[in-house]
Amino acid sequence: MFEQTVPKTLCVAAVASGLALYAIFGGYFAREIAIEIALLAMLAVSLDVIAGYGGMVSLCHGAIYGVGAYGFGAMTALGGHPASLSALVAVALAAAFGLMVGALTANTAGIFFIMATLAFGQMAYTLVFESRALGGDDGLAGIERFDASSVGIDLGDSLQFTLLVIAAMVLAYALCAQLLRASFGRTLVGIGANEERMRALGLTTWRHKALAFSFSAAVAGAAGVLAAQHTQYISPDYLVWTVSGEALVVVILGGLGTLAGPLLGAVVLVGLKHLVGGWTDHWHLFVGLFLIGAVMAGGRGLYGQLEHVLAGRRARREEGR
Amino acid sequence: MNKSTIAALAATLAAAASVGTALAETKVGLLLPKSGVYAALGDEIDQGFVLALEEAGMSDEIEIVREDTEVKPPVGLAKARKLVLQDEVDVIVGVVSSAVLGAMRDFVDGAEVPLIVANAGNVAATGADCSPYIVRVSFSNAQINRPMGTWMAEQGVEKVYTLAPDYAAGRQMIEAFTASFTAAGGEVVGSAFTPFGKTQDFGPYLAKARAASPDAVYVFYAGGEAISFVKQYDSFGLKENIPLYGSGFLTSPLYVEAQGSAATGVFGALHYVPTLDTPENEAFVETFRAKHERQPSEYAVQGYDAARVLLEAIGSGAEDRRSLAEALPKGSYTGPRGPLEIDPATNNVVQNIYVYETVAEGEGLTQRIVASVPAVRDEANGCAL
Amino acid sequence: MSGIDFWLTQLLNAMQLSMLLFLLSIGLTIIFGLMHFVNLAHGALYMLGAYVGVSTAGAFDNYWLALLGAPLAVMLVGIVLYALIIRRMRRAGPMNQVLVTFGLIFVLVDLVRLVWGDIALGMEGPASLEGTLEVLGVRYPAYRLFVIGVGLGVLAVLALVLARTELGAMIRAGVENDAMAACLGIDVERLFFVVFCVGCALAGLAGAIAAPVFSATPSMATDILIPTLIVVVIGGLGSLAGAFAGSLIVGFIQTFGAVVLPGLASILVYVLLALVLVARPEGLLPARR
Repeated sequence: MFEQTVPKTLCVAAVASGLALYAIFGGYFAREIAIEIALLAMLAVSLDVIAGYGGMVSLCHGAIYGVGAYGFGAMTALGGHPASLSALVAVALAAAFGLMVGALTANTAGIFFIMATLAFGQMAYTLVFESRALGGDDGLAGIERFDASSVGIDLGDSLQFTLLVIAAMVLAYALCAQLLRASFGRTLVGIGANEERMRALGLTTWRHKALAFSFSAAVAGAAGVLAAQHTQYISPDYLVWTVSGEALVVVILGGLGTLAGPLLGAVVLVGLKHLVGGWTDHWHLFVGLFLIGAVMAGGRGLYGQLEHVLAGRRARREEGR
Repeated sequence: MNKSTIAALAATLAAAASVGTALAETKVGLLLPKSGVYAALGDEIDQGFVLALEEAGMSDEIEIVREDTEVKPPVGLAKARKLVLQDEVDVIVGVVSSAVLGAMRDFVDGAEVPLIVANAGNVAATGADCSPYIVRVSFSNAQINRPMGTWMAEQGVEKVYTLAPDYAAGRQMIEAFTASFTAAGGEVVGSAFTPFGKTQDFGPYLAKARAASPDAVYVFYAGGEAISFVKQYDSFGLKENIPLYGSGFLTSPLYVEAQGSAATGVFGALHYVPTLDTPENEAFVETFRAKHERQPSEYAVQGYDAARVLLEAIGSGAEDRRSLAEALPKGSYTGPRGPLEIDPATNNVVQNIYVYETVAEGEGLTQRIVASVPAVRDEANGCAL
Repeated sequence: MSGIDFWLTQLLNAMQLSMLLFLLSIGLTIIFGLMHFVNLAHGALYMLGAYVGVSTAGAFDNYWLALLGAPLAVMLVGIVLYALIIRRMRRAGPMNQVLVTFGLIFVLVDLVRLVWGDIALGMEGPASLEGTLEVLGVRYPAYRLFVIGVGLGVLAVLALVLARTELGAMIRAGVENDAMAACLGIDVERLFFVVFCVGCALAGLAGAIAAPVFSATPSMATDILIPTLIVVVIGGLGSLAGAFAGSLIVGFIQTFGAVVLPGLASILVYVLLALVLVARPEGLLPARR
């Protein structure tokens, strides 16, 4: 069951404040990195809800992220609609896509489920890539950001936009945590643990799974909207399956089924990429070795391992009493 | 010491300081792919750029900050922003991928930073999306292919089947060829676009091409796809009856050796060929070979010319972003690829296009120039500079 | 070129692509079916085989040596990987296996880039297989016919091994129920090791075979991964017949799709995959029902 424990809260707070401080004092490029981490963390958290808790490991979340980005881009740059309306439409579109995929894949499990989501993700990618109206691989430019001038915030300023994205990441985490604590979330965890049993208890599991997938997709789509606003240009690259792969890697690296772990995973992976990338063009080699090492050392992910150690200590303390 | 000595010293110091600022370095942001599918092209452009600086003895006066675009538009844009806002470069040089250029365009234009495009061939970049700050010294996708259409029709080729990868550059290249070929009286009897980056097996498309009974096949492929295509075209024995033509990237000196004998007899059009018989090119090839032990490709020349154009602008007195942006489009000189100038109407390069045939020579392959189309200039295409 | 010739050529094209996919997918499906190990790095081993093939053929100017050297070299790499990583990760669960093999892809691709550079490399086929042969009235590249031959040959050999040898019986038992097989005294650990090495060798062979037709690039590792995974899932895990059927289906759809429905060609395979997964999630011919 999901419980918002103190370590989890501390982890989220640490990551959020760390990113914010880095953005404020780190200079221009620091903000770019902070945004990259926050968006990836948001995507990874949405994935952990269904993968870590619901047992549905999706390899199409990158595509959903892209659907959100393109939905927003098409509405603003092509349709000329205001940013807030476009964002709502984009998130709804992502949620609808998630609902469809979740419903169609509800009867598959394990590696087959992963492949099915991959297939749908690739279909979305191909559709976007081949679509001349959406710019094809030339991409779509001229995307606007939210207009928050009425509350005195200028999102054209990189620092303010960065802080907005970090806030969005925390909000996404809070929403996911709330969902998991509620009865919907507890049912989801039950399905993830043993679907047959839940069905035996009279639950229409496929509907529940589809709705969970849809929620996860909405959060991922929202991250996509912010990504589109960040670069103000999007291309089909956002939907390539390696984006989904990266999101999954971040979740597993941070700790599958911990919700807070993915935030840490995002910090570590992006941080490592930029750190090593500063020394050599062949940074993939080192990141790969790190991943292999991290898995072989624990298997619970960085945060998961931390939680495990803390739980062990608590158990020992209680035993000693 | 007395007052006049102090005054003299102060004056000398002030003079020395002002001379120092006049000799201030120009900071260049070199934005190229160093990982990913275009890494080899990025390296070539970098090498050409550095070579030009060394040749002019300006290596010390130009400070280079390098960033990797990873051939990903969001990454390219983030790095461009870093170069401009954090490193405060005076000019950005590079950009291999048209998608990365598309992502950066609005930013560069808005921040008023000059950008010298050293590869990306997207037609709109010097067309509808042109900017007074963006100057291109490489080529536009249309510019390379238009002359081939006219030339092939003149050679008596009547029916052509076209093939290209299904993405923006592929489509632009074929569009340009088709327009000029049909205008010169030719007929395109069929065309196909292969899934970009995913097609390794061209067998099905080659069979379709053969079935259409054309006089010749015209294609655009580059990199690994070009190697696969040329070899497979040869393996099907198509060259005997249906000669192969294409935009020169098909048999670029950068990888033609990997194609081996399959590339002989293939015609291409490029803005630069290492066998160009001019004193400027001979000197360039010699210097390049001495340093890198291989023939330079068109990518090396693009980097080289980018540096030369920049040096000319600096030489004319420009030193900050605004003055560089004004001076760059005035660049014109005769370099390894021949006479080169920037068209003020589009900020695109005006250059010769060379039609060449790949032939065997000794142990390897070389390019035999069969025609030279001078001063090819793009239409404005919606650019209002 | 007459209508029949055209379709016959496309048929041969489809067979050639199918056989290449088969060589890759058979290794992956048996590894997955028997060891329950998700090896995303299989495509990277294929890439390694292609590069080793290029270098061997270039160094000794002999194609056949490359054909022998590549599978051997990749098998050696497989042995090292097994000892260092795979053995320990075997029981670690699919998520960790995904992560480890994902990391392995990064490592192998960058190692290849370090050793061989970023420019795509080409390889000459053997002189004896240059040019075209006449098959049923159609001129078709001799080398591609060779590829078809190799694929069918490997199918025959594997079918024989699985059906008629003790090793084959042990593999089939292990795929069906490895716990029971172990109870019956089969050294399952050693079996897995043998199967993994053979799978790697086949991936290396596929790479060396493909190198003269395509070119050797670092992106080979990920480009081929998805088609191979699709073959394995459509065909059904752990079975030779499934891998063969899946390869034929995917190869034919890709080839004829390109010919008949060019705009939709890239999406067709995914639609098929989605259909199969929704209708028959275990695949068409899985080893375990």
